[in-house]
Formats: sequence, structure tokens, C-alpha cells
Amino acid sequence: MNAIPIPGTQRSITPAGGIVWGVLVLLTVMSAIVRPGLFVDQVIGGLVYGLVLVLIALGLSIVLGLLGIVNFAHGALFMLGAYFTFQLMEVWGVSFWVALIVAPLGVGLVGVAIERGVLRHLYDKNPLNGLLATFGIALMLGEATRAIWGGTPRSVVAPQILSMSFDLGVTTVSRIRLFTVAVAVVVIAAVYLLIERTDFGLSVRAGVLDREMAEFLGVNMNVRFISMFVLGAAIAGLGGVLRGAAVGMDVGMANQFIILAFVVVVVGGIGSLFGSVVAGLLIGGASYLTPLYLSTLAEVTTLEFINIPGIGGLVPYLVMIVVLLARPRGLFGQEGFLE
Amino acid sequence: MSDESATNRTGEGLVSGLPLGALNRYKVPIGSVLLVILLRPLVSMEFLLGYGSVANTILIWMLFAASFNLLLGYTGLLSFGHAMFLGIGAYVTAIGLSRFSSSFVLSAVVALALAGVAAYLIGRITVQKGEIYFAMLTLAFGTTAHFIANYNPAGLTGGTTGIAGGAVPAWIETERGLKYVNLGGFQFDWYWLVAAAVLVGLVVLWQIVRSPFGRTLIAIRENKELARAMGINTYRYKVWAFTLSGVVAAYAGTILEINEQGATLSLLTVETSGDVILMTVLGGANYFFGPVAGAFVWLFAEDYLTDFEMLVLPLKEVPIVSLELAGVLAYWQFFLGLLFVIAVLIAPREGIWGLLRDSIETLYDRLRTGEEDV
Amino acid sequence: MSETDTSTTERTDTGDAQTAALGSTGLTKRFGGIVAVDDVDLAVPEGELRAIIGPNGAGKTTLFNVLTHALAPTDGTVYLHGEEITDLSQEQRPHRGLARSFQSNQLFNELSVLENVRVVVQTIESGPFSFDLLGEGRSQHREQALDILDSVGLTDKREVTAKNLSHGDQRRLGIAMALATDPSVLLLDEPTSGLGTNETGLVTDLIESVHQDLGLTLLLIEHDMDIVLSISDRVTVLDQGRVLATGTPDEVRGDEEVQEAYLGGMREEL
Repeated sequence: MNAIPIPGTQRSITPAGGIVWGVLVLLTVMSAIVRPGLFVDQVIGGLVYGLVLVLIALGLSIVLGLLGIVNFAHGALFMLGAYFTFQLMEVWGVSFWVALIVAPLGVGLVGVAIERGVLRHLYDKNPLNGLLATFGIALMLGEATRAIWGGTPRSVVAPQILSMSFDLGVTTVSRIRLFTVAVAVVVIAAVYLLIERTDFGLSVRAGVLDREMAEFLGVNMNVRFISMFVLGAAIAGLGGVLRGAAVGMDVGMANQFIILAFVVVVVGGIGSLFGSVVAGLLIGGASYLTPLYLSTLAEVTTLEFINIPGIGGLVPYLVMIVVLLARPRGLFGQEGFLE
Repeated sequence: MSDESATNRTGEGLVSGLPLGALNRYKVPIGSVLLVILLRPLVSMEFLLGYGSVANTILIWMLFAASFNLLLGYTGLLSFGHAMFLGIGAYVTAIGLSRFSSSFVLSAVVALALAGVAAYLIGRITVQKGEIYFAMLTLAFGTTAHFIANYNPAGLTGGTTGIAGGAVPAWIETERGLKYVNLGGFQFDWYWLVAAAVLVGLVVLWQIVRSPFGRTLIAIRENKELARAMGINTYRYKVWAFTLSGVVAAYAGTILEINEQGATLSLLTVETSGDVILMTVLGGANYFFGPVAGAFVWLFAEDYLTDFEMLVLPLKEVPIVSLELAGVLAYWQFFLGLLFVIAVLIAPREGIWGLLRDSIETLYDRLRTGEEDV
Repeated sequence: MSETDTSTTERTDTGDAQTAALGSTGLTKRFGGIVAVDDVDLAVPEGELRAIIGPNGAGKTTLFNVLTHALAPTDGTVYLHGEEITDLSQEQRPHRGLARSFQSNQLFNELSVLENVRVVVQTIESGPFSFDLLGEGRSQHREQALDILDSVGLTDKREVTAKNLSHGDQRRLGIAMALATDPSVLLLDEPTSGLGTNETGLVTDLIESVHQDLGLTLLLIEHDMDIVLSISDRVTVLDQGRVLATGTPDEVRGDEEVQEAYLGGMREEL
């Protein structure tokens, strides 16, 4: 690794970069002063949103790195996490805390079925086939969800302890959001430790770099594929539980989030878990803060046209286009990976 | 690979001495003519749909899917943003007609030109990326197009409602929900103009595919490295394949605009891009008529299976089964999705059309050997 | 290169790289810390059939990749008929007369034999990119392609899909495609590997006839020493990315260092 210079590590700030950073800082300060309550709301909203994206992107990134398959059905697994929570809590009357454990496990089982039933046959094939097959699975899971739970949005009643809010003076923050942040951070840290600090993780990383060599050295990659796939599925399911408990669920969330999670993986750099975390937070934050910044700017400059409604939804894609044009491999991508 | 896609057998040697040679050579245009003539009578049959109005939509989508296959099937590029070009075609035409009161032809020409420029520029920065990056970037551009239409800049695109009023050229007349073309006092059914326009589009695509340019695209799809080593500038070929594909999709969009009497935001959604992928692969990306068949199956299933209430097949004596089927068939996309996954697993490039060809060939062989036995 | 000074082989390759059909000076390719091609000076005169030999992993194929710019060289210069082409892109080189075939059978698998060659002919005739949307291709391209197929003996199989050809026919088609670029210098990467005795003979005959009848300059990576000794004018020995020796087959055979590095190892195996 030491022989390869990484362009991003050279921290020389160009004049243009300095201006951009200066404007961003200025906008942040301005927004915080003009509308402190909204600012804190958006920061926390962006954080929660970004972390949920990271939870989905982690599994996506692992499967992509390890198996070379773009799992389009990963968003459907996230959605299933939410609907399983609905089934457990509202239909079967189980408590949220049980659902928090059981729903991700259930999603993990669905993951096993997908891996054994379909993806196993697609390893080492044209990557387009994996993308297409999982695209079909996503369609099937979406239709199945519509058939079982209906096409209208659903929601669950979060437990008493999580439905209250903290008063921060300028605004209030619901506990479920803070709980989401806490769970996501713990899970992300656990995955990091698993991959970076255990023998299991070491063998998985070896497999990502050179599967044939790892198998030659006696590593049973099959077992690792399944377990990593299930882990990725369960984490996405957990994301679904948290999202479902906080804001509810609908059939469209699968497509919406898989696309955003892809964007996160691509922006972070395919094959880099750390990149996914950074990109997730970046995109979550940008999605929530851009509208605020623009409306603040419009208010200060009295140029109303700057305040573009719904720009938040476009921000992830703009970020991706810019990042990929400037750094074709994403922020932390490796050379030659899936190119 | 099939005769009409990759190996463009010129006929000789295969069916030597027979006029079948010409038939074989021009089977795509001949097939296209038969298709556009027969589609409406076919779907109007009582045991199929019983009404023909959906045939217009099916034809236009067939052309859209065929334009997409120039990318996926012939060049090997999987775009998740093809709806963008269909949308540009429909929106620009509708804007020209309703906002600037310009003629349809002028609006359509501007639409195709804009789609071409957009496709060329997007192609230049995306086609040389890896498969996944290409898919994601086209998705991002497609979403951007959706955003712009939804944002309704300068009141041009009409936001979520799209463009509905005054977006039909004067030579289209509507009587009791049916559209007629009135050109200089000569009146005929709108279907026939759609048929002619789609036929032109299909023949143009066929010509692209069989031209030296198209052959080179297949070579690039088959082996990028070898193509480069043999002196082919793969980048420029891909950019132009993307551009041509986008222009033909926009052309389909301009026809769709009249058919739907305006432009709707749903044309630009990711779902539209996804549907065309599903149709193409389900139909068989390997064949010229694969996506055409896929579009038919998809849209036919949508109408046929959604309205399915009773199973009229010899299952009448088991009414409970048929009732349950009706409920399940409302979720027809599940079963097409299943079919799609199976198709990708077994033969990702063959699809329904490949299956059909295989069975017909097997049947033919069996019949022929049967004759010889006698 | 100084290590070869003591050997009996002359290093005629240096110095005249710029007058040779294909030449290089200081050509180097590194992958991270690994040097796959190390400071290679090459000068293959017009009309010569040069064999490149060396143990597995000596960097022979990488040398071809760098010479054709399938891989950009880390360092060094490449000359084609005295013209520097170091930065010329891979797809430009066939248009300047530098073509190659591949070790594994690289073909446009789903196209017919004739189409495979015709695509190459039309590329060379019309340029790296041609927006030719009319007809089914010019008849003269088709005639040319048929001529080339005739010269390699594949006329009968012109309508066969490339992937359905036998191994030997695939190899011949690969050579036919390289020939279709109308090259002045042709690089052939192990054209006989994996072929049976019969097919090897056919391919070897083909190479010889190409060399003699068309007067092409040929570079040939080859493992089969009998072929190397019988058809090549001169031989360059690569080891660990470096040129060990260059000379006539007999000179190289007598070179101590080569015997040590290459033939020596083989004897041990025997």
C-alpha cells in the first residue's frame, strides 16, 4: 500500500476550495443564527437519515466487495425490516424491544433464502446479471409486501419511553431519533471491529482482495459469503425497524433507499466501508442542510429564486455526479475495483 | 446468437438458391410490418383483451424498449436512466404545442435534437465508467430530469400534474374517446399513424444494428480489449450508441405525447426506467424482437391479469381455486418478477423470445425429420 | 544490460531502436513494487522473425502489452519504423501498422468468422471511429475479409459463429484478424499453446508463410523450442523482465547465462 500515492491525502487547499469552505462555514453560521431551532432539527434529521443510509449501505458494500454483486434487493430487505416490525407489534402484539431483535433476524433468514436460491448461482458471472436478478427479486418482494400488508402506508406505535422528546431550548428532539443514532453508531462500530479486528474479518478482507488465493489458503469462503450476506441483510432489516418505528413505512421506501444507499456506496468508494460511513453522513447532512442554507440565503439576499423547493431530494445525486466526475473511484475507492 | 442480431447471415449458404434468402435477410422489417398491422386486431380478440385501444400504448413501448436494447443488448450498457429520453421527447413536444403553439413537427424535431444533445453530453462522461458506475450515473441523471420536470421551471413543465391541456396537434380529432388523424380532409384512425411511426422507428433501429456501426457495437460488447487492440475507438462508439438510443427513445416519447394528450411526470420516474429494463431482459436482450416481445408481455399482463376475475379455463368445476387465483393475479408483477429472475439465472440474454425461437426450431426440426421418416 | 557483456551473444539491439521496424529503449513496467518489464531495449529490423522466449513469469506477455499500449509503460520509449509512438493509444496502433494476437483465444465470440474479420477490415479502412450507418457494410470490405479467410484456410467456416470453432481454428481466426489490420509489424502471443500436433503444424506453417510471403516483421512469444529454433531469425531471451540475451538461435543456445537461467532449469526437470 505504501507504494501507491493516494491523491486525497494531499491536503493542499486551493483558492477555489477555500472559497467553497468559507461560504459553507458562513452559511452554517448564518443558518444557525437566523433559525437556530430549525438548524438543530435539520442537523439531527440529517444525522439520523445519514445513519440509516449507512446501515443499508454497509450490507450493500460488503456484498459488493465480497461477492462482486450489486444487490438491488437490499432496499427491499430494509423495507421488510419495517414491515416485520409492523407485523410483530401491531398484528401479533409483541413489544418493540422484541421486534428490534426478531425483525432483523427474520430479514436475515430472507437473506439466506436469496443468497442460496439466487445469488449463489451468479458469483463470477457478468456483474450485470447479479444486478438484474436482484432487481427482479426487489420487484417480487415489493409486490409480496403490497399483497400482504397493503399498498397504503403503515406505522407502529413506539414504546412510551421512546415517544417522548428532549427539550433543547431552541427545539425538541424525539427520543426515537436519538435512539436510532445510538443503535446505528453501535452497529457500525461493531461491524468495523468485526471486519478490522477479528480473524474472521481478516479472512473476509482477504477474500475481497483475492478470493482464489484465500480459498487456496484454506479459507472456506462459502461460509463467509453466507454469513456476511446474512449480516448485511440483518443490518438493513435493523435500519428498517428503526426507520419504521420513527416515521412509518410504505412500499416505495425500498426503491427510494436502495438508490440512495447505492449513491452512498459509490460516493464513498466501492469496497471501502469507511468511505460508506463518511458518504452516508455527508449525504444525509447535505440533504437536510441544503434546503435550509438555500432558504437562509434567499432570505438574506432577498433573491427568492434561490430557495428551490424539494432540492433536498436531488442533493444526493448532485453530490454523486460531482464526486464521480472529480474522483472517478469515489472518495475512498481503490484502484481497479470493479472497473 | 440469433440471425437478426449478432450474426447477420446474408442468407447465402443457409438457404441457398431459394427466395427465402431475401426473406431471411429482411425478416426484421417484414416482421415489423406484420407486427404493427396485426397487433390491434390480435389484442381486440374476445378471449384476449376484447378492446384495442391499449395497442397504441403497447406499440410505443415496444419501440421504447427496442431503443433501450440498442444499449443493453447490442452495446452491453445497462442504463437506469432511459426514461429520461422518453420524457424529454414527450415533455419538449408538449411544451412546444401547449406553451409556444408551435407545430407538432417542429416541436418533435426540437425534442429529438435536445434529447440527442443531452444523451451525447451524458454519454461522454458516463460510458467509459465501469458497469456499476454507469448504472448509477445514468440513474442520477434520470432523477435529475425528474426533479427538473417536477420543479416546473418558468411554468414550462407543469410540476406534478405534467402538461395536460392544449398539448395535442390540431390534426388530431377526438370522438367518443377515440382519436382520429385528420390530414387535409382525409380521416383515419390514430392507430395507423402510431403503427407507421413505430414501424419507421423499428426499421431505423434495425438499420443501425445491421450497419457497420452496429456490427462494431456488437464487437465491443463481445470483447472490449480485443476491440481496442484491433483499432476500434470503443469510447466514441459507446457515446454514439448512447446518443442514438436516446434519440430513438425521445422519438417514441413524441408519439406517446399525442397518445396520452400531454406529458405526465410518471414518464420520468425510476420505475419507467426499471420497467424498460424488465421488459427487455424478460423478452430477450439477445434478439431484435426480444424487447418488443417483452413490452407486449409486460403491458398485456398488466391489463389482462389485473382485470382477471374468473378463470375460464377447464377449471370451472373448481371455483374456489379460480377465485383465489383472481386475487393473487392482481399482483401480477410478482409473477413476472419471478419469471424475470428465472430468466436471468438460466439464460440472461435469451428471454421469452429466445425460448419461443428455440421451441419453434425444435418443433420444425421434429416435423422435418418426421417427414423424412415417411 | 551490462551483465550480458561477458556472454558470447552480441547486444546488437541497442542503438538502432530508431531505425528498426519495432524498437524500444529503457522500456519498463512496474506494478506497485513488482517490475514486470525491466529496462528493455529492443530493435527488431524490418522483415525479421524474432522469437521472445523465457521462463513463465518472465514478462513476455507484459512486454507485448506495453509495446501495444494495452498497458501504459512506466518508463521508456517505443519506436515504430523510427517514429516514436510511446504515447500513442492502443486503438491507434493498429492503424499505424502494429498489430497483435492474444495468447488465449480472444474473439468476438457471438459474431460469425466472416464478421470477426470484416469488423477489423472496416475499422482499418474507415478509421478508429466511423459513423457508418448505411447498408450492411461495403462489399469491398467483405471481399477483403474473404481473401484473408482464404489465406488462413477458414473460407469454409466463414458463417460459423466464432465460439463454435475448434481451438486451432479459433487461433487461426485470431491471426486472421491481426492480419486484417494490414500490419507491418505483428506480435503473436503463443500462437501454438494448447494446440495438438496437427493444429500446431498448421499454425506454424501459417506463420512462416505470413513471414515469407508478406514480408512482415514478426515478434513471436513461443514456448515450443523446436518451433523457435526452426522458424525464427533471431531470439530474445527474457528473464525476470530483463533481456538476458539476443542473437541467432544458435548463438542464444550457446550462451552460458541463458543456459543457466532457462535451459538449465529445464534440464533439471528432465
